[in-house]
Amino acid sequence: MRRAELGDLTAHVVAFGRALRAQGVLCGPGEVADALRALERVDVLDPEQFRLALRTTLVHSHHDLRIFDALYPLYWSPSPPVESLPENGEERGALEEPGREQGQLSMERWAEAGEETEGEQEVPGYSALEVLSRKDFSNFTDRELEEIGKLVVAIARRIATRMSRRMQRARHSHRLDLRRTMRLHLRWGGELPELAFKRPRIRKTRLVLLCDVSGSMDIYSRLLIQFVYALQEAVGNVESFVFSTSLTRVTPALRSRTLREALDRLSRTVPNWSGGTRIGASLMQFLEGWRHLLDPHTVVVILSDGWDTGDVEVLHRAMREIRARSGRVIWLNPLLGSPGYQPLTRGMQTALPFVDVFAAAHNLDSLRALERTLVARRRRIARRE
Amino acid sequence: MRPTLGNIEQILQALEQEGYIADREIATAIYLSIELHKPLLVEGAAGVGKTEIAKVMSQALGTDLIRLQCYEGLDVSTALYEWNYPKQMLRIRLEEGSERTVEEKEQTIFSEAFLLRRPLLQAITHHRAPVLLVDEIDRADVEFESFLLEVLSDWQVTIPEIGTIRAKHIPYVVLTSNRTRELSDALRRRCLYLWIDYPSFEKELRIVLRKVPGISQRLAEQIAAFMHLVRRLDLQKVPGVAETLDWSLALLRLHRDHLDRESVEETMGCLFKHHEDQRLVRGPWLDAALAAIHEAQRDGEGLARALSRIERTLKA
Repeated sequence: MRRAELGDLTAHVVAFGRALRAQGVLCGPGEVADALRALERVDVLDPEQFRLALRTTLVHSHHDLRIFDALYPLYWSPSPPVESLPENGEERGALEEPGREQGQLSMERWAEAGEETEGEQEVPGYSALEVLSRKDFSNFTDRELEEIGKLVVAIARRIATRMSRRMQRARHSHRLDLRRTMRLHLRWGGELPELAFKRPRIRKTRLVLLCDVSGSMDIYSRLLIQFVYALQEAVGNVESFVFSTSLTRVTPALRSRTLREALDRLSRTVPNWSGGTRIGASLMQFLEGWRHLLDPHTVVVILSDGWDTGDVEVLHRAMREIRARSGRVIWLNPLLGSPGYQPLTRGMQTALPFVDVFAAAHNLDSLRALERTLVARRRRIARRE
Repeated sequence: MRPTLGNIEQILQALEQEGYIADREIATAIYLSIELHKPLLVEGAAGVGKTEIAKVMSQALGTDLIRLQCYEGLDVSTALYEWNYPKQMLRIRLEEGSERTVEEKEQTIFSEAFLLRRPLLQAITHHRAPVLLVDEIDRADVEFESFLLEVLSDWQVTIPEIGTIRAKHIPYVVLTSNRTRELSDALRRRCLYLWIDYPSFEKELRIVLRKVPGISQRLAEQIAAFMHLVRRLDLQKVPGVAETLDWSLALLRLHRDHLDRESVEETMGCLFKHHEDQRLVRGPWLDAALAAIHEAQRDGEGLARALSRIERTLKA
C-alpha cells in the first residue's frame, strides 16, 4: 500500500504513538516514521500484519511491549475510537491505576514539603519504635544536608567501583600491551627500548535501588530519595524504583538536573505515595519486569523499615530470588538506629536471611558506617541479626 | 540492490525450509528489518532461538554470516581490527639493513596487508551484503555498545594509519540480548524490536517433530505438553527449546517411547541445571503432571485443548 492510500491512517498512527509516549514508552517521531514506512510494506487490511508492523517498529523493549499490548485493543479494535482518545500527552489513558489521584496529591504535598518550615511533616501512625528515631534525618540544617550530599557521593563511589577485564595503560603490570609496544619499537628504529603494559580497568557495578515510600517511611522518604538522586548522579549505572503497594520505576524522573525538578517529575509518575506497604508484592513486580537487571555485578539496595502488610510467603520468594541473582543485597533500615530496636517485624524477619548487609540509614553516622561496610566483600561481611 | 526474501508469507516458507519454525511475528520482524534496512534487536529467554534467526536469515538469503560474539571486556581491537604484530616485527627485521626512512617503514607495516580484519570490519568490507550477527550484546560493556552504535549509524570506520573505510554493502544486522544488562535507549531506537517468548504447545510440537527425526507423534506430544507445564513452575532456570531438543534426543537414544517417572528422572539433567529445580520437579508434581498428560492423550481429547485444564489441576 502506498503512502497516499494510507491517508487518515497516518494521523491515527501519530496519535497512537503519542498515546504510547504518554504511558512512558520511548516512542518519538522516528518510531512513528518507521511505523508508517512499515505499513507501506505490509497488507494494512490484514489486522495481524497491521498490528505486528506497529509492534515491531514503535516499541523497543519487552517492558514497553506490555504497554503496547494493553493499549492496542483500546485504540484499534473493533472500530478505532480515535476521537475519544486523549488529544495530548498530558492526559492518561485507561492504564490508570485506581487511586492514583490520591497518590498524586500526597506526592505533590510531599514534594512541596521542602519549602515549608521544618517539623511540619505528618507523624506516621505506626509504632513507638519509630517515634524514637524520628529526631534523626527529619530535622537537618542546611550545612548538614550539604555534608550528606558529599558523603552520599563518597558512598556511591565505593559501591560503584570494581575491577573489570577491560584494559587500560599501566606503568607496571604483568600484561604486555603489544599494540603500544610495537609503536614504541618503531619510534626507536626497530630496537625494543621499553615494553608497554596494560592492566584491568576499573569497572562500574550496577546499582539497583528499591526505596520504600509508604506511609510508615514518610519521615525518611524525603532524605532517601535525595540519597537515591545523589547516587544516580554519581554513579550513572543506577536503576531506581520506589514502592509502597506497587512498584514504579523512577530512573528517568530522577535523571533531572536538580533535585527539585526530580521531585516534580516524581510527583507526576508515582502512584500510591504514602500508602500502605506490600514489600513482597512490590519486589515480585520488580522481578517480573526487571529481573534482567540482576546479575553477579549488581548491588541491590533496599531502603525500607520492613513493615509489610502483605503476604510473607511472597516476600520470602522474592528475596530468595533477588539474593540468588545479584552480587550483593543491602538492606538499609532507618529504624535500626533506634536504641533497642530489634528487627522483629514479620517482614524484616523474612527478609533478613537473604540480606548481605543490614545497616542503619537514619543519620550521618549511620551513612558513614555504611561506607565502611561496603568496602568489604560478600563473604566477609558479618551480618547484624 | 540488496537481495530480499519476498513477502512475509515467503519468509515463513523460507525459514521453514531452513528448518526454523517461525510464527508471523518473527517473520514480520525479519521482513521489516530487511525492507526498512534497520538492524533487528532480538530479546527473549535463553534457548528460544534468537541466534538461530541470524543463521537461517543468512542461509535463506544465500549470503555469509559474520558473527561477533560479545563478552565483558570486548574491545575495539577484537571487534574491528588488529595489526598483525608478528608479521610487522618480521618485516622490520627484514628491513634492518635497508636505507628506507622510519616513515617509509611505518607506512609499509601499517598498510592493509598487515591488517587483521575482525568481524565488524569484515562485515562492512564483504564483497556482498552479509548477515552480521552481534550475539549477546548485553554482555559487552557500555563503552563498546556506544562504539557499535556509531558503526551501525555511519557504516564506516576510521583506522588512523589508513583512513576511513566505508561499507561497500550495508549488512543485514541481527543483535541478540539475554537482558543481563539494560541496553541503552539510543541503541534500542536504532533497531526494530522482536521479543521471542517460549513457544506455544503447537509450535514446540512442530519444532520437535521437525528437528528430531524418527520421534513418534505420541512422544513428541507428551514432550511438548510436559515442557508447557514445567515452565509454569517456579524454577531457577526455565528450560528453553534447546533443552527440549536435547531431551528429546536423549529419550530417543534411550529407546523411550513414552514419558514415565523413570524416563524423566533418568534424563532430567538435559532439562534442569539446578539441584533445587530437579528436586521440585521430582516431587509429587511429576506424577500428577504425567498422569494428566497420559489421560488426556488416551481419551483422544487433544493435548492442546487439555493443557489449560491440566494446568489448573496442577495448581490446585
